[in-house]
Amino acid sequence: MKTRPLTLTVNGRRHGPLDIPEGLMLIDVLHEWLDLTGTRFGCGQGVCRACTVIVDDADGSREMRTCITGAHWFDGKQIRTVEGHATRDAAGAVTAVSPVQQAFLDHYSFQCGYCTPGFVNAATVLVERLAKAPIAKADVEAMVGAALEPHLCRCTGYVRYYEAVRDLVLRTPGLVKENA
Amino acid sequence: MPVRQDRRQFLKTTLVAGIAVTIASPGNSALAALLERENLRPAPWNPKDGSLRYRVDATAKACGDKLFAYDMRARNLPGWPKDQAHAMLLRVTRADRVYAGFDLAALGEELKPDRIVTAADLAKDGLKFPPFYGDDLLLPEGKTPAYLGQAVAILVWHDFARYRFAKNALKFRDDTIRWGDETGPLERDPWAAFRYVRVGGETPFDDDRYSTLKDTVVFPGGYKKQLPQWPEALAGGKLGEQGMAHAQAMARELDAPPADWLVLARDYATQSIDTAALEPDNANGWYDAANATLHLIVASQSPQEVAEECAKLMAASRTGAKRLVLHPCYTVGYGSKDHTHMPFYGFAASFYGDGRPVRLANDRYEQFQSSLKRHAFSMKYRVAVERKTGKIQIFTADMQGNGGGRCNFSPSVALVAATAAQSIYYVPRSDMASTALATRALDAGSARGYGTLQSMAATEMIVDEIAHELGLDAIDLRLANVLRTGMKNTQGAIPGGALRADEVLEKARAHPLWKDRAARKADYENRHPGRRYGVGFACVQKDFGTGAEAAFAQVEVSREGKIRLRHIAVEIGTGMTSSQSVLCARWFGRPADAVETAQTDWSDLPLVATHDPWLMQQDVQDKQEKNPRWTPHLATPTSASNSAYFYGHATSEAARLVFNHGLWPAALALWGRGYGGGQLAPLAVRREDARWVDGRLTAGGLAPLTLEAIVAHAYEAGLVTGAVVHTFNRWQWAEAEFPLDGAAERLPVDALALRYGDGAKATTPNGYRVVDRSRVFYPPAQRNNAGVTYYSAIGTLVELAVERASGKVHLLNHHSILECGNAIVPELVSGQLQGGIAMGIGHALHEFLPLYEDGPGNGTWNFNRYTLPRGSDVAVWTQTGEVLPALSETDPPKGMAEVVMIPIVGAIVNAVHHATDKRFYDLPLTPSKILAALDAPPNGDKA
Repeated sequence: MKTRPLTLTVNGRRHGPLDIPEGLMLIDVLHEWLDLTGTRFGCGQGVCRACTVIVDDADGSREMRTCITGAHWFDGKQIRTVEGHATRDAAGAVTAVSPVQQAFLDHYSFQCGYCTPGFVNAATVLVERLAKAPIAKADVEAMVGAALEPHLCRCTGYVRYYEAVRDLVLRTPGLVKENA
Repeated sequence: MPVRQDRRQFLKTTLVAGIAVTIASPGNSALAALLERENLRPAPWNPKDGSLRYRVDATAKACGDKLFAYDMRARNLPGWPKDQAHAMLLRVTRADRVYAGFDLAALGEELKPDRIVTAADLAKDGLKFPPFYGDDLLLPEGKTPAYLGQAVAILVWHDFARYRFAKNALKFRDDTIRWGDETGPLERDPWAAFRYVRVGGETPFDDDRYSTLKDTVVFPGGYKKQLPQWPEALAGGKLGEQGMAHAQAMARELDAPPADWLVLARDYATQSIDTAALEPDNANGWYDAANATLHLIVASQSPQEVAEECAKLMAASRTGAKRLVLHPCYTVGYGSKDHTHMPFYGFAASFYGDGRPVRLANDRYEQFQSSLKRHAFSMKYRVAVERKTGKIQIFTADMQGNGGGRCNFSPSVALVAATAAQSIYYVPRSDMASTALATRALDAGSARGYGTLQSMAATEMIVDEIAHELGLDAIDLRLANVLRTGMKNTQGAIPGGALRADEVLEKARAHPLWKDRAARKADYENRHPGRRYGVGFACVQKDFGTGAEAAFAQVEVSREGKIRLRHIAVEIGTGMTSSQSVLCARWFGRPADAVETAQTDWSDLPLVATHDPWLMQQDVQDKQEKNPRWTPHLATPTSASNSAYFYGHATSEAARLVFNHGLWPAALALWGRGYGGGQLAPLAVRREDARWVDGRLTAGGLAPLTLEAIVAHAYEAGLVTGAVVHTFNRWQWAEAEFPLDGAAERLPVDALALRYGDGAKATTPNGYRVVDRSRVFYPPAQRNNAGVTYYSAIGTLVELAVERASGKVHLLNHHSILECGNAIVPELVSGQLQGGIAMGIGHALHEFLPLYEDGPGNGTWNFNRYTLPRGSDVAVWTQTGEVLPALSETDPPKGMAEVVMIPIVGAIVNAVHHATDKRFYDLPLTPSKILAALDAPPNGDKA
């Protein structure tokens, strides 16, 4: 089994170099090496998006599927997982959640919560994208639908996820063009 | 009747078969801090309007905290070794020849497992399945597999990387399993068959001439070529023979009906599906040989079953294990994690980690290959209707559910399918037969809907077709036949409380989607050439509960005023933790501060159960109930939409006892302080005047008191500060009299223990005193035959368009009208409604699994070709729903998590007929089926 060193930054913390076998997917490294299990294994073939994390680079943030993307692809990269969105105290307890997370809380968006990390990351990427490129109010539902469509949820029927993100986008200054 | 036939015999809560069982479930251990940290915070409660801002587990879930068993690794468990071993199950992909071992050459030397466990190893160590699951935890060589996907070996690796690459290497291979002679698939008798015959009296309110409740369920004498051999039809014979005489008379009448009857005979089929719970089945176990202790993390809706059965297995094994520590976690399953086999594979694997904890976790291919499926059903229905009145005269059904190769809940699923088929209708005469088949398919079990999705959706299709044949409005026809309050179901039982399906129907009839459907169709089709528009409706009512609903609940308040709730219930995503917590608010002014779920240690109220509650004979019950510590059943899994009503009853009764015998007398004492009886003396105040306002207790104008002040006095005065109750329901509540405060108090619980304040003498480990009942009133054993007495109703209107060129269905909109009593947390009810509908849409249009060689047993199924509904499939922005207002604030909350997924199925099929003029009888309605029907030559409207 051939291994290579892997260094990456997760939620602002640098990890590595870790001795990671070639061919391993990032989700396995998150789970088995870093003990970050909030990134959920759903299908292993990139279809359900429960395993989505955020990659931050010069172009901004984007979603990546960790069950089908090799760990070494992330070498040197900065990623955010669901564990990194809230503010936590020294003991790791949550002191404040992100606006996306709060929207999901307030809307009772999820049930079992297994897919929630993927939705948190997708919605976060959408909000960050709209902050750079606001859209017309009339396009918000279509944009939210397009951003969340790839994500599977078996419990909720999606309504409370979609409504939470729509309402968040509409009420967050700067995401929607005022006169469009 | 064995509604949930789990054959349990005897359970002591902390000592099973000589094995000490500890449940380290959330709330009482280091793991608890990990699991229920969020719950230990105060619930996000708004005392002004009595609402919950968000779920009590919301923050943890939104932050990706470790809540699921799937998230747990050895390093997370205090005291466990840090090195985690990983295991997988090797499974067969055919079931028509003799299994002759396996060949792992594909792994080479490097990836070879560190430990291989076969049936021979299990036999040596005395490890096997609990009796409920039958034989062959691992299939021994020399036998033909009972079903596709049957496990033959547990492979264990001591490190993750080799496990991962080995597992990848073993996927999709046909050369791993060695085969011997071809035998063909096993042929076995069905798992069970039942027949429910009823002949009503002159009117729906007169006594029945014959019914299951009054007389008997009809059982077959045996099977020939997998067909049940029913008793001979004899009018003067035994009860079963009499039933068959009635059935025969009905069949003859349907064969040669009166001239003014319409008799419609239709065959329906519905598919096997995977519940697709996103958390795959998994377990993680460590056998600590030095201390003879097995620690086991499980994902289960029935942790009580896992605890009890694992303890028995340990006691019967040669492992030397003496102690079991079980860690149930938050999970999700839609029924597929209720009495599933994975915890027992995890249990067995734990003994082969060579000192390391062993994690056995399905990937999605394995999940498809092994998880409990929804039963595929075929149903032959015949319904007779009088043309001039539209009244149903006779309904007969002969249905078969495919239970697969290992009997799980198939008997009761078949039974429930039959007893539910009548749905919202009053049927004067009925003959409902149902058989659970044994096949080589994967085992099917408790999946959301539990047989009723299958049978009631078909009923709604035939009713729509009858209306069409008679030229009647389909909702008018439903109203003409609706089961009204006081009428009997097909078992002859009168459902509890007011039936409100008629109100649902009236609302649907007045809804614009229905009223204006012709105009909307014309308008839509004008604007969308190439699309056919349709509106469909269906309405059902479904039972909740199992007929032997048993629960423990404990509510106590600390000296500082902190409210703690312990419950047997498992959080499976529905929000049960939140709603049970909120139920405490009525009695304490705010929800429970801490909720501990999945509890199985009830040593403060030690009870025994001795017999199967569904098969119990009256004389057995009469004899056993004399023991005040006896109950027909100890604990029911979290399933069957049972949390709101049945679990909620236990929570509320425990909280009520603390209030009535602790807080209320303490408050009266505080109000009565001062010369001449203080502020209380001039007033006439009753307990029913008590109200919590903004977190303080008042009554009849008395000065509001804080919970903390009341509790402090309750402690000082030695009043009740905690209660443990046990409840039992066999389609009616068990009640008992208890000596309380010098009087006999009759309560809807069958056992209780109380904790008193300062100076009280305790007799249990946690400071409680068992109050033995002086009399008990259990529902009669015959009530098992009622089948159902608790119903929730829902109607769904669907608006859709069919693409003529492709057959694809576009869901444009849907509206549902639900009746479910008083919602405990309305947002949770709404979420269940939306989610259930999405699952119903999947069943109607998208999801399909072949049963046999091409199906999930072959290990190649995943979400790439098993299509789950996505946001664009469910009319996410347009859908609406409403809940009928409760009759009063005292209506109980009703179970609704299953019923909500059902009418959408029938409504879609009916809408496709409205759109295309084609009838469909076989689910799912795929584009290719629709296209084939549209392209077929016009020879009637049957597809």
